[in-house]
Amino acid sequence: MSALPEKYEMVIGLEVHTHLKTESKLFSPAPVQYGLEPNHSVHPIDLALPGVLPVLNERVVELAIRLGLSIHATVNPLSIFARKNYFYPDLPKGYQISQFEEPVVSDGWLDIEVEVGGAGNGTGKGKKKKGAAPELERKRIGITRAHIEEDAGKSIHDIAIAGSDDSCIDLNRAGVPLLEIVSEPDIRSAQEATAYLRGLRSILRYIGVSDADMEKGQFRCDANVSIRERGAKEFGTRTEIKNLNSFTSVEDAIEAEAIRQFELIEDGGEVVQATMGYDPERRRTSVQRLKENSDDYRYFPDPDLIPLRIDPARIEAVRGELPELPEEKRARFESEYALSAYDAGVLTASRTLGDFFEETAKLSGAPKQTANWVTRDVLRELKERECELEDLALTPEILGSLIKLIEEGRLTARNAAQIFPDLVTDGGNPEALMVERGLEAVSDVGAIDGFVDEVIAANADVVQQVRDGDDKPLNFLMGQVMKASQGKAEPGQVRKALAAKIRG
Amino acid sequence: MGSSESLLAASLTEQREGLDRGDATSSELVDASLARIAAHADLSAVVSIRDAAARAESEAASKRIADGKALSVLDGVPILLKDNIVQAGEPATCSSRILEDFVSPYDATVTEKLRAAGAIIVGRTNMDEFAMGSSTENSIHGEAHNPWDRSRACGGSSGGSAAAVAAGLVPLALGSDTGGSIRQPASFCGVVGLKPTYGRVSRWGLVAFASSLDQIGPFGRRVSDCAAMLEMIAGHDARDSTSVPEAVPALGAAMTGDIEGLTIGLPKEYFVEEGVEPGVLARVREAIATLESAGAKVTPVSLPHTEHTIATYYLIATAEASSNLARFDGVRYGRRADKVEDLQDLYMRSRSEGFGAEVKRRIVLGTYVLSAGYYDAYYGKAQRVRTLIRRDFEKAFESCDLIVTPTTPETAFGLGAKSGDPLSMYLSDVYTVSANLAGLPGLSMPCGLSDGMPVGLQLIGKPLDEATILRVGDAYERLTEHHLARPPETN
Repeated sequence: MSALPEKYEMVIGLEVHTHLKTESKLFSPAPVQYGLEPNHSVHPIDLALPGVLPVLNERVVELAIRLGLSIHATVNPLSIFARKNYFYPDLPKGYQISQFEEPVVSDGWLDIEVEVGGAGNGTGKGKKKKGAAPELERKRIGITRAHIEEDAGKSIHDIAIAGSDDSCIDLNRAGVPLLEIVSEPDIRSAQEATAYLRGLRSILRYIGVSDADMEKGQFRCDANVSIRERGAKEFGTRTEIKNLNSFTSVEDAIEAEAIRQFELIEDGGEVVQATMGYDPERRRTSVQRLKENSDDYRYFPDPDLIPLRIDPARIEAVRGELPELPEEKRARFESEYALSAYDAGVLTASRTLGDFFEETAKLSGAPKQTANWVTRDVLRELKERECELEDLALTPEILGSLIKLIEEGRLTARNAAQIFPDLVTDGGNPEALMVERGLEAVSDVGAIDGFVDEVIAANADVVQQVRDGDDKPLNFLMGQVMKASQGKAEPGQVRKALAAKIRG
Repeated sequence: MGSSESLLAASLTEQREGLDRGDATSSELVDASLARIAAHADLSAVVSIRDAAARAESEAASKRIADGKALSVLDGVPILLKDNIVQAGEPATCSSRILEDFVSPYDATVTEKLRAAGAIIVGRTNMDEFAMGSSTENSIHGEAHNPWDRSRACGGSSGGSAAAVAAGLVPLALGSDTGGSIRQPASFCGVVGLKPTYGRVSRWGLVAFASSLDQIGPFGRRVSDCAAMLEMIAGHDARDSTSVPEAVPALGAAMTGDIEGLTIGLPKEYFVEEGVEPGVLARVREAIATLESAGAKVTPVSLPHTEHTIATYYLIATAEASSNLARFDGVRYGRRADKVEDLQDLYMRSRSEGFGAEVKRRIVLGTYVLSAGYYDAYYGKAQRVRTLIRRDFEKAFESCDLIVTPTTPETAFGLGAKSGDPLSMYLSDVYTVSANLAGLPGLSMPCGLSDGMPVGLQLIGKPLDEATILRVGDAYERLTEHHLARPPETN
């Protein structure tokens, strides 16, 4: 895919719909559960039977306050539930209960980290220096509002499920509580967009508001995209790409749409306000519906619900119970454990990872080494096994004692790496495993001298080379000694012994 | 007349005593009620009957009563529900083709409470479709008739409940009141009808017309009967967010017969000669004089925004109705058009075939007043005027304890007289809608006849003060005999 030329910049605003972690639905006692048979979590309220009335789930208010405080926003003392009226088969009441003019949360922000020089330059791809941690800078993204609303059900048009060309409706999702979180148009690249989404998702998970699992549809994104010439004050005409359900889709769809708009303008055309669909197979956006034909939702305050009043004392109580947020934790990791900004960022991407690191570091007594093990080895295992930290048998106790063994010189890093996968899979006691496999480091001078003598004797010509002033084969000899010791020899001592014996 | 027949015609208090004394059993009383409903089928007041279930329930009630274990004052007493108040396993057509075959799987809160109190629900009453109307002519069950004169309307929308109580089919029935739908038919049929304070009675299980105005209330032949039924159905309900938390006072105890020193406000805007039937005005003035003679004081009050009440009401009620009725879409329950071509066709035809003309008129009007560009001018402005109307009452109640007015400007009109003229039909709610807009309790009770037809006296109370209007209404009954007047027996 070609990139947007330097002359232009993207202007992006995101609307995120995130399912809230509640036992029951927003206005009905039906349980919120995933993976149930269709229509097995449906109360008369969800069916919109004649005579039913909605009752607000107070847990949702709690979670909305948590989000508001975590994004530095105002939690409004009074907000109003409104009806958004439209007909669709998976919308049983013929209206969605949402918040319109007066949302529960307004005026917040979220800081994201963007690559230095990477922002606002179109795709920003290929800027990463290979292997090195990228240089990051902070950028603040405004959050206009967050409001409470209910999800709709699902219409199923699949003939295999419906059994005919009829459509089927599953109302399990109807009434599931959502927060819609709307950003300001402060985002300038597809990478910033995903950085914002990752940051938001991380907060939502930290504060227990949402599992925000994109695959389960718990975290969905609509992107408003326009382009303009760099330096222009006015925004271009924007389009809205609906229902993006993976980070890759978000990035690709935004780029595809920006380029579509660019090509349109280059060809002398004009961008028209529209709702766009994104086809991930073809990596293309296409117009679904023109905005000028858009529905009139006839919003009005829902007379079945009273205004939502939130007492300042309640807000303060929630504030008191908020866990440490990602940005606070990152700053603390940098100062408390002398970690790099990059490592601190990686370790605080999720609350569980941060907690895992911190507990391990306490047990190992070596925070920097622990950070290396977690960011490198633990994350690699997670990636390879495609699982979550909780799925591993590895605990902070196990990893902590493993690192401690290395720090004490009782286990070489190489041998530690050898038993690590087993600890990840089966758990167990690293020290016992080390002893059982005979991997305890040999630091006894006599034993090491024995291995060194053996290697020198067997490699006379190589030894001669070193004596002639070529240091290169030293590593080879090191390796031979390590091999002879079955990896157990303490490398520092081996190096010392080799140098002494060869050079005299 | 057998003992069960005469007991059926008595007040609730007398029925309770008669049942407890064994003058008749609940089964006999329920049988008498079912027989009388059948004999008065020409009224079209009752649209579905629970004979087998009601008989079984009354047998159980008879046993309880014989054992001296009556559940409540209503135990074993036959009652009727308006067809928009749901009962599990029973139809709730709301007089609409779109719900013709609908059976509710759940109970309304009031249904639950009445059943728990031992009341025997013998059937369901006719109404204007979705409670939209003032005559019970907009109904798939056919127009209901006024027991006083079958060529006249019984009022609406709760006309079936009013006619049934007036004709002595049951001592008590429930209705709903959005703009006068309990008080206006009570007035037309010469019975007592009470619209409680908004939020006093749970709306859970009441098929919504206009959510911010709807309220369930009782019909009876005596004020004290309505008070007893209100006590039974009122109270906070967690299933209705708009139900008020305040506890219901003991209303029976409030009815002492003593109204000495109470101040009655007479809104000057309601006592105008123009547009009011002279006989109506005369009966209401006589009633006020009677109350004065018992020691009540009378003071003029003003409700300056009265002229805007009808417009305000119809903007708000239709807006809410247009949204409340969106759920009747032919998808999950209710009428679905045959052989539809696509989704649009399914909606269009199911709703076109399912709704009657008046309902369509109000959906169209309500959709219009909520649409972009018109919202502020109509719905927004109506809400602001509603606030002014509420303030009018707050101000008036600074100088009086209750307000007394005619319930309607005229007695029951002829069937068909207004059905071609929606606006004149809407104007028959002129005295009743303000209590809905302001959320106030309102009672209508008979105060005599005009040209042989009953006239209703309306008593409007302060918010949550049903006790005062019930006390005054009960005192008025003690001073007069208008509540004893019965429509002629034609069968």
